[in-house]
Amino acid sequence: MFEQLAGMLEHLGQKRIAVLSLGGFEIRFDVMAMIMSWVVIVLLILLALWLRRGLRQPVEEKPNRIQAALDALVDILKGQLADNFASERLAIMMFPFISTLFLYVLVSNWISMVPYLSSPTQDLNVTFGLALMVFIISHVLSIRFKGVRRYLKGFAEPYAFMLPINIVGEIAKPMSHAFRLFGNVLAGTFLVTVVMVKFAPIIAPPVLNIIFGLFFGGIQAFVFAILAVAYINVAVEE
Amino acid sequence: MLQEAQSVATGISGADIALAAKYIAAGLCMGIGAIGPALAEGLAAAHALDGMARQPEMQGALLRTMVIGQAISETTGIYSLLIAIVLLFVV
Repeated sequence: MFEQLAGMLEHLGQKRIAVLSLGGFEIRFDVMAMIMSWVVIVLLILLALWLRRGLRQPVEEKPNRIQAALDALVDILKGQLADNFASERLAIMMFPFISTLFLYVLVSNWISMVPYLSSPTQDLNVTFGLALMVFIISHVLSIRFKGVRRYLKGFAEPYAFMLPINIVGEIAKPMSHAFRLFGNVLAGTFLVTVVMVKFAPIIAPPVLNIIFGLFFGGIQAFVFAILAVAYINVAVEE
Repeated sequence: MLQEAQSVATGISGADIALAAKYIAAGLCMGIGAIGPALAEGLAAAHALDGMARQPEMQGALLRTMVIGQAISETTGIYSLLIAIVLLFVV
């Protein structure tokens, strides 16, 4: 058991990379991150299908247990995340996206508590993809809500010479958004692995997993989703 | 010439010194970089607690805003963590 654990420390921070050669250039895949993100997606879909089967038809009837739990979940998502949007219209429009983002990041962070599985969010490419998604959606919504002219004019606010600073600020948003989640999850993983291998293989992992997996994973998923809400709010605000 | 002779005598090469510098730099980066976010997060929590004690009915909104503010002030700490990781595993 201890030899196996020492091997874990040796391979800490390493990745399994698959290289796909296409004509002149190469495409590199992080195999583990891809597999784990698909595992998370399939898990969420299976959970959704299983929960849907528990619903009583028609839905307006007296709710059963699963229905009440789902109602509570939707209420939490709505109250904590979607209600922070600037307008009711935006909240209704973006509620599915924000909830999906939150649930995906949450399950991604929590799945590293299962032995032999790693979080897809400990790979920078995954978090950067999510952050870019938020970035593109916020800018598309900004153009749709304000119109092209006012959107472009927004970069020159409050003065014209602030243009470079505003552009750098816009680019820094998805970067800090992605690095925050990535750094937190990676630091948790490293800490759990190092403490487990070096100090206490049996007692420490559950405690550390509760702190870093459950608590920080939940907080970081919430922060990721609420920052997405804040970025979209800033982008569409008048 | 003298330095080369000394390094041969003690068995410490330039690569060893670079390795040591790498570890020291990573440790310093994380240690100094953690001061600012820790102070900022403590300050945010303290003031949020002040507000909650004064107006308990505002607890939900204060907690949410506190968590966002802490996550944003944590960013610099995360950056120093990234630099420490790059120093340890990439450089």
